[in-house]
Amino acid sequence: MTASLSTSGKDQTIRLADVRKSYGDYDVLKGIDAAVSRGEVVVICGPSGSGKSTLIRTVNRLEEINSGSIFFEGQDIHAPMSGRELNQLRSRIGFVFQSFNLFPHLSAVDNIAMSPIRVKGVAPREAHEKALKLLDRVGLREKADSYPAQLSGGQQRRAAIARTLAMQPKVILFDEPTSALDPEMVQEVLNVIRALAEEGRTMLLVTHEMGFARQVSSEVVFLHQGLVEEQGSPQQVFENPLSARCKQFMSSNR
Amino acid sequence: MIHDLIAIIDDYWLLLLIGQYPNGPLGGLANTLILSALSIAIAFPFAILLAFARLSTYRMLRWPVTVLVYVTRGVPLLMLVLWSYFLVPLLTGADVPSFYTMLATLVVYEGAFLSEIIRAGIVALGQGQMDAARALGHSYFGAMRYVILPQALYNMIPSMLSTFVATIKDTTLGYVINVPDLTFAASQVNNQLLTQPFQVFLILALTYYVICWSLTSLTNVIERRITRRRAGLASKRRQLAISLTPNATEQP
Repeated sequence: MTASLSTSGKDQTIRLADVRKSYGDYDVLKGIDAAVSRGEVVVICGPSGSGKSTLIRTVNRLEEINSGSIFFEGQDIHAPMSGRELNQLRSRIGFVFQSFNLFPHLSAVDNIAMSPIRVKGVAPREAHEKALKLLDRVGLREKADSYPAQLSGGQQRRAAIARTLAMQPKVILFDEPTSALDPEMVQEVLNVIRALAEEGRTMLLVTHEMGFARQVSSEVVFLHQGLVEEQGSPQQVFENPLSARCKQFMSSNR
Repeated sequence: MIHDLIAIIDDYWLLLLIGQYPNGPLGGLANTLILSALSIAIAFPFAILLAFARLSTYRMLRWPVTVLVYVTRGVPLLMLVLWSYFLVPLLTGADVPSFYTMLATLVVYEGAFLSEIIRAGIVALGQGQMDAARALGHSYFGAMRYVILPQALYNMIPSMLSTFVATIKDTTLGYVINVPDLTFAASQVNNQLLTQPFQVFLILALTYYVICWSLTSLTNVIERRITRRRAGLASKRRQLAISLTPNATEQP
């Protein structure tokens, strides 16, 4: 299953070519091809253990791969490069973690402002002003001075999204942004992500929220046992899946 | 009894305070404080470096330091002190003052213990914090400095404090290689008086107790201050604001 065959693709923000990864004898990813074009929202779904989280972590090289390549704006992320180059690349790829991973020793506003200050050298005053604007955008303005422990799960998740936005990434990767939240909080978070999609942000999401995936995504990739089992427009994948496994998964997730 | 103590202090306070100085080397309480402060001040950053090496992916770095830490922790301090005292002059041919021999030994010994505490603090944080920092573009050491260490060191304050207090108490072992510290001065006093060892060493014990107790109190104050700041209770106004917001207490 090859996705976009156009390999030149200047508008392709991310392109994965035959990505393989194994832990010892266990093959997690068995040759994944996929692409995310600029302004597109691509959703990765699939049953547990299909390699979704591993796949998304390889995109900013939090996980190494065994073979294949991953291009970000034409640059191979997994090519040999200096630590400085890699940090530079990573700072342009946003990543929102499944477990938020806010920094518990910093207030919400400092969580957001710290990396622009330390990584990009933005003036502290400017970074803080921008952080407050971002908090405003995710509806957490009044929580600016709160510490992560004082925020609810949904609030932490939104703060983590704001922290990622502060670096002005070209693409944002979401690893199950709504897991372990109650339905109300899920809506809070989805609304924020939906707003980002409407803004034309390029995003790659791993999610189990099928209804949401259907609304916002331009393309859906169904992963099964380390392979792309089905790939296409949301209508096609959700309503007329070609593969039996995908059909079964979709019907159980309705 | 109290009379004896006061009399001893009255007669020998200068010796206990600064040793033979200025007619001889600086000693007494002053030297004990300097030795303790220097040991802690050098052992602490040294321990952070050891912990980094222990966590390193490079074997060339990890293995030698692991051996150093294990050996150091498995050997009595007194043996290390005697060893450096007799061995270092043989190896270097230089006449190293006993103060520096003791300082170096303490730095290595306490550094080994401290490094394990710091390493445990870093490991206990889990991979998530490092991942988050790296994903935002921080370098490994940038992530350590701004994200990992502020949390790990804070969490480990109680354990590190024990090691700091142990360091102060361990400076007394300098006695065996004639480091002119408080213990040394007290034993000089004892040798002159001959009949009042209990009183003399009671003064010594009390002095060490006050030093260690001061350090403990100071650390508690610092710890409480950080805790309060991190709990967001720095000001009453803010505390009120939190209690008025129902969301703040709702946990998922």
